Amino acid sequence: MQLFRLGLAWGAAASAMTISLAAANAAPTVLNFWDMNWGDTAYVDAAKALVDEFNKSHADVQVSYRSVPWSNWYETYVTAIASGSAPDISTGAGFQAVQFYGFGEILPVDDVVDAIGADAFSKGTLEAVKWDGHYVALPWMVDIRAIFYRKDLLAAAGINPPTTWDEFRAAAKKLSNGSTYGVVASGDSGGSHWVPTFMISNGAGMFDKERNAAVTSERSMEALDFIGSLVADGSVNPSSAGYSSDDARGSFQRNEAAFILSGPNLPELVGATGAQTAVLPPLKGPHGDLGTVNWVNNIMIYKQSKHPTEAKDFLRWWSDNQLALWTKGNANGIPARAEYQKDPYFQGREHVADIIKNYLPVAQPMSATAGGTFPAMNEVDGDGFLRTLIQKIWQGQSVADAAREAQAHLEELLKK
Amino acid sequence: MSSRQQTAVTGIAWRERARQFTRPEIVTPTVLLIPSLCLIAFLILYPIVQGFWYSLTDGSLLRPGRFVALGNYVELMTNPSFWHSVRFSIVFAVCNIVGCYLLGLGLALLMQMDMPFRGLFRVLLLLPWIVPSVVAIVSWRWMVADQSALFNQIIKAFGGSPIYFLSDSTWAVVVVIGIKIWRSFPFMMLSLLAALQTIDRSLYEAAEIDGANRWQSFWHITLPDIRNISVILCLLMTIWSVNDFDTPWLLAQGGPANATENLVVLAYRYTFARNDVGTGAAVSFITLFILMALFTFVLRLQREDRNA
Repeated sequence: MQLFRLGLAWGAAASAMTISLAAANAAPTVLNFWDMNWGDTAYVDAAKALVDEFNKSHADVQVSYRSVPWSNWYETYVTAIASGSAPDISTGAGFQAVQFYGFGEILPVDDVVDAIGADAFSKGTLEAVKWDGHYVALPWMVDIRAIFYRKDLLAAAGINPPTTWDEFRAAAKKLSNGSTYGVVASGDSGGSHWVPTFMISNGAGMFDKERNAAVTSERSMEALDFIGSLVADGSVNPSSAGYSSDDARGSFQRNEAAFILSGPNLPELVGATGAQTAVLPPLKGPHGDLGTVNWVNNIMIYKQSKHPTEAKDFLRWWSDNQLALWTKGNANGIPARAEYQKDPYFQGREHVADIIKNYLPVAQPMSATAGGTFPAMNEVDGDGFLRTLIQKIWQGQSVADAAREAQAHLEELLKK
Repeated sequence: MSSRQQTAVTGIAWRERARQFTRPEIVTPTVLLIPSLCLIAFLILYPIVQGFWYSLTDGSLLRPGRFVALGNYVELMTNPSFWHSVRFSIVFAVCNIVGCYLLGLGLALLMQMDMPFRGLFRVLLLLPWIVPSVVAIVSWRWMVADQSALFNQIIKAFGGSPIYFLSDSTWAVVVVIGIKIWRSFPFMMLSLLAALQTIDRSLYEAAEIDGANRWQSFWHITLPDIRNISVILCLLMTIWSVNDFDTPWLLAQGGPANATENLVVLAYRYTFARNDVGTGAAVSFITLFILMALFTFVLRLQREDRNA
C-alpha cells in the first residue's frame, strides 16, 4: 500500500512537472495581421510600434505585421483566401468585409462591438459594416470627401467662400480665365468621387431603395448636369480628364485652380500651399440638401483563422489603442472611434476640425440610398464605370448619354 | 493469296513498323524529350486549358462559378465595350506596324550608308527600345500631361494653343500610338538593317550598270530581298501590339472614357476590377484566337508564295 502511495505521489509529481514544462515551452499563438498602407512610411512605423506594444503586453499571443500596398490589393487578398492562406485579421477598403462575408470568408464580430459599445463609434459608421444582421467588421477610419479652396485666390478675386451650388458655380466661373480655372479634378478614381459627392449633396445616390441602379434618376441627373455645367462654363481645368489625383493636386499647388475635391489630408500634401488652403462648408443643393460621400474602412477577421478568440482580443485592443496611428503615423482619414475625434491632433488642425464638425454629420457611403451596404458594393466601387462617366463629363461630352451608359453598366453589374 | 497468307503478310508489316519505332535512334531522343514535354505541358498547356475552362464559367477570383458554356463569348458579342476594344486594338496594331515599318526601314537604309558617327547614331536610336517601359512611358506622360507640360510649352512658344493630349479621346489615341511606335521602331530598324546587310552588293552594281536608278534598285532588289523578314517582323509587331498592356495602361489607364482600352486592358479590367474572371478569360481567348488565325493565315500565304 505504501509502495502504491509512493508510486502515486511520484506519478503526480511527474505529471505536474510535465504540464508545467509544457506550459513554459508552449509556443505563443501567432496572428497574421495584414494592414493596408493608410499613409506613408510614418504610418507603417507607427503601426509596427503599436503591434510591438501589443506583443510586449501579451506573451501568449504574438502578432506578425505585414504592410500591404494598395496596388493590386484586391488580388492580394483573393489569392490568399483562395489558396487557404488568408491572414487572421486585416484592415481593408470600405466594402471589402461585406463582400468577403458574402463569399463566406469573414467572421462576424457582433460580440466585439457589444464589448466596446456601439456609442463608441461615430454616427453611421457601424451601419456601414452591418450586413445580414451582423457586424462583419469594426469600422476604424472614415475616408471622406470635402471641397477645399485657395484662400488667396478667392480673396484676390473678391469672392466669399461659396455655400450653395449656385454660388459655387458662379465663383468657379469668375475664377476661370483660360490659364487659371475654378476647378481642377482628375480622371482617376479620385476624380470619380465628384459623382457620388454631388449626388449625395442633392439627396440622391447611385441606387434606389430596392438597390436598383439610379444613376439617371431625376435628382442624380441634376447632380451630373451641375458638374457638366461647370465644364460648359469653362470652369474646369481641361486637363482634368487625363489627370491623376497627384496631377490635380500639383495643378492646385501651382495656382492653376481654386477648388478641388479631396480627402482631409490635402493641406499636408500640397506643401506651402497648404497654408492657403481651407475647407468650404458642405454646399447646399438646389433642394436644400447637404451631404458628401464617405468610405468607412474596415478591420475584419477571416474565417480561415485558427485563432478566432485571440484575433477578436487583438481586434478590440487595436481599436482601443489606435490613436497613435494618426498622432504618430499621420494616417489618412478621420477615426471611426468618436472619442478620438476630440483629440487635439484633430481639433488643432482647422481643416480637419471643420470636416469633423460640418462634413462628418452629413456624410454617407455610396450605398446609403440602397438602405445600407451590400456585397456587390466592392465591385461597384472598384469597377471603374464612374471613372468613365466622369472622364466623359470632364471632356464636355453629353452628360445624358454618359449617364445612360453608366446606368446600363451598373444595371449589368448588379444583375451579375 | 489465301487469307492465311494475307494475315501473315499483315503481321510481318506490323512487326516491321513496330521495329522501326523501337529503333534506338527513335527511342532514345523520345525518352530524352519526355521531361521537357512534361514541363511544357505543365507550364504552357495546363494554364491554357485552365484559362479556357475559366472562360466557360461565370466564376470570380474567389469562387469557381458555374459552367455557362459559351455564354461569356455570346455576351461579349453584344457588348459595345468589347467591340470598342477590338476596334482600338486593330487601329493601334495597324498604325504601329505601318509607323514602325516605315520609320525602321527608313532609318535602317540611312544607317547602312557611310556617314560620320554612324555607330553612335545606331546606339542612340536603340535607346527607346532599351529604356524600361515604365520609365519611358511615365517620362512621356510628364511631357504631354497638361498645359504646363513640355510639349505644350513648345507649342505655346510658337504661338499655338495648348493641346490636352491625355484629356481628349482622339489625341490620347494619337499619343498612345505615337509612343508605341517610338518604343518599337528600334527593333524593326535593327532587324531590317541586319537583313539589308545580307543583300549581295553585286546586284546593285549590276543594276547600276543596266541604268537602274536608286528607286528602281530599291523596288526591284531591296524590297524583294527583305520581304520574308518583313512579313515575320510585321507578324511579331502585330502580336506585340495586340498584347501591349504597358503603353495604354501606364499612359492613360485605358482612358479617357475608355478611348485607349485595348483587348488586354479590357481583359484585365474584367478580371481584376470587376472580379469577372469568366468574361476576362473569354476576352483573352478571343484575342488568342484572332492572333492564331492571323498567324496561320500569314504563314500559309508565305508558304503558297514560296511554292509558286
